[in-house]
Amino acid sequence: MLSLLRFRDAGTVLGLLIIGTVFATLAPTFLTAPNLLNVLQQSSINACVALGMTLVIISGGIDLSVGPVAALSAVLGAALMVAGVPVPLAIAAMIGTGLACGAFNAALVAFGGLQPFIVTLGGLSLYRALALIFTGGQPIFGLPEGFRALTNGTLAGVPNPVILVAVLAILAHVVLNKTPLGEYFLAVGGNPEAARIAGVPVRATKFAAYMISGACASVASVVLVGRLGAAEPTMGTLWELDAIAAAAIGGASLMGGRGSILGTLIGCIILGTLRNGLTLLNVQAFYQLLATGIIIIVAMLVDRLTTGKQG
Amino acid sequence: MSRLSISGVEKSFGALKVLHGVSMTVEPGEVHGLLGENGAGKSTLLNILCGVLSPDRGTVQIDGRPVTITSPRAASEAGIAMIHQELQQVPELTVAQNIFLGANLRRGPFTARAAQEAEARRLLAPLDPTIDVTAPVKSLRVAARQLVEIAKALRARAKIIAMDEPTSSLTPAEFEKLAQVVQKLTAEGVSVIYVSHKMDEVFRLCHSATILRDGRFIERVKLPETPVAQVIAKMVGRELVHATHVSYAKPKVILQAQGLTGGPVRDVSFTLHQGEVLGIAGLVGSGRTELLRIIAGVDSSTGSLTLNGQAPGQGPRARIAAGLGLLPEERKRDGIIRHRPVTTNVGLASMKAFTTGGLIAKRRLHARTEALMKDVGLRPLDVTKPIGQFSGGNQQKAIIGRWLAADTQVFLFDEPTRGIDVGAKAEIYALIERLAAEGRSVIVVSSEMPEVIRLSDRVMVMREGRISATLSGPDITEANIAHNAIPA
Repeated sequence: MLSLLRFRDAGTVLGLLIIGTVFATLAPTFLTAPNLLNVLQQSSINACVALGMTLVIISGGIDLSVGPVAALSAVLGAALMVAGVPVPLAIAAMIGTGLACGAFNAALVAFGGLQPFIVTLGGLSLYRALALIFTGGQPIFGLPEGFRALTNGTLAGVPNPVILVAVLAILAHVVLNKTPLGEYFLAVGGNPEAARIAGVPVRATKFAAYMISGACASVASVVLVGRLGAAEPTMGTLWELDAIAAAAIGGASLMGGRGSILGTLIGCIILGTLRNGLTLLNVQAFYQLLATGIIIIVAMLVDRLTTGKQG
Repeated sequence: MSRLSISGVEKSFGALKVLHGVSMTVEPGEVHGLLGENGAGKSTLLNILCGVLSPDRGTVQIDGRPVTITSPRAASEAGIAMIHQELQQVPELTVAQNIFLGANLRRGPFTARAAQEAEARRLLAPLDPTIDVTAPVKSLRVAARQLVEIAKALRARAKIIAMDEPTSSLTPAEFEKLAQVVQKLTAEGVSVIYVSHKMDEVFRLCHSATILRDGRFIERVKLPETPVAQVIAKMVGRELVHATHVSYAKPKVILQAQGLTGGPVRDVSFTLHQGEVLGIAGLVGSGRTELLRIIAGVDSSTGSLTLNGQAPGQGPRARIAAGLGLLPEERKRDGIIRHRPVTTNVGLASMKAFTTGGLIAKRRLHARTEALMKDVGLRPLDVTKPIGQFSGGNQQKAIIGRWLAADTQVFLFDEPTRGIDVGAKAEIYALIERLAAEGRSVIVVSSEMPEVIRLSDRVMVMREGRISATLSGPDITEANIAHNAIPA
């Protein structure tokens, strides 16, 4: 199993290398340090969301509500900051919002027995509506400089969001591969009934997955609000699809029970590289979307042809 | 001329050769057993016959004409039909729709529904006229669904019907009915290839059998005249020693149930002693599985349960902590996490014990699992391999290991050897006896009478959710069990 997953990760890395090589050949500015850092920075928000999404998918669920959760966190946090609440407290409130939304999703899945797809589809409308109602549809401006500096700063030349994602990814990797909770994610996603009979706390595991996903979405909103300097109630549209795409490219099975944090991370970088490279080549945005679609499908086909048969 | 003649079939998966020149002949109107342990190559041979796999070498002849079976459709056209163990049906569609799946009768661009239903009724009439052809297949019992598959085979004018473990979820009465159907089929000249681990059925139904071992053809035997022991010895390659029952029961009461009621289970009370093996017999549907699930905390119930004089909490987690462990019948569905390695599957119920400072102590888990698996005889002894790649018997050994790792006091086995081959069966029996000898208590639910009788110190017989009798010592006989199991 370990070797199989590593094999799968190696495949994702290979995909990234191929795409990178193509762009490096076609666009001379692609393979420069500033541009590569740029790719990482542009991928950081999706990566943040996708980390949580990966854990939810591995545990046999899906979280379509991540974008609106981020928007709701953003507008609440921004309103608090504008009202003069200290920045750390406002950030805590943002992450608290994500955790609360995740807990709400999990409660409906774990206790209500509803399908994750439907629950979070409902959540997608619900949280978006709350964000819009709260702001009257208007963006919130005037955020403190100290907050903006957090996300726009760099550490040893590396943008802060990239470092943040690296830290979160290491945490997620450790949780998934080295803690009982990680085994529980894999077990509940792999076979919920067998997991229950073996004494796995199935409901608590689902709560953990959705709450982590909600928290990841709000961390992503911190990054985006800091970058934009404003909180838009409409932000985060289609985030869920990018995150699911990254997880799937990285080898997560939408049936649950399988997935890899490293894979998801590389999946995000593949998507980011694609957008960056095509922009460098002055390819129209419509074709960028086309390329993204092709990459997702090709990744799934390769997956099916190499490892799919064993599953 | 033989109906089916396979000769010199070889098949490899990569470097692994699984069939070494296998031959098999089946005569018209004959029921032919295909016997062998798991891994002997039966499934591969069946898959070659029904077009799922193609052989590397060898020939297949039907009625003396060589045929090349390259796809399931080609197999069907050659007159071969397969009734899989897991029935390949669309549960939401009706009986008639399933019978005509992929071969609809048409009227212009539309499905000729009435004609299909009439034809389905005609095909089912000799099998079971009570089956409603307009009912969705999911509303039928497994036995009826099997007959629907047979009707489908007849619709395709199959000359050879292969049945893979057809009775694994049938009651004895349903088996009798199936036996009659098989006899009717053969009377009309259809040949049946019958794959089963149950020797009594094979000897009841088959006229002859091909025995495979390790992918090799061993012998074609005439049945029922060849002695059972001889057939089994050829299958496993050695003589199995038949141990007599030894009791390790001590007077100390471990588990006491009082008035357990829930689902089909009605007012069940009993005690279980230390080192005791308590068998639960009864017909399918008498509430045996549900009783085990209630004891394990998987299903809820009223009534009381005490373990060592104390009431354990509700739910599987509390029951596991109190010392109970369930080994479910459907291991794939309820027992294993198939993509995960043996280590995880073994450690899942006792993660806390394998955790240091919040992190799983992988080396300790690996070492403990390896020691346990060596002890229970996991083969191959590779605990990093996904459990889904092991045979049923080895999966069962791993689940026994799971509860040993959790230091479980009471093992709740539901059909401990279902889907497990003859050789591994003896090993599971030996393990159950060892658990008892170590002072653990065991409850065994089983539909196989010889199994219950062989293993149990006492046997509780269930009938319609209640305990109809508790037998011990010389009273444990097939006749007594059957008498108390059948509704009055």
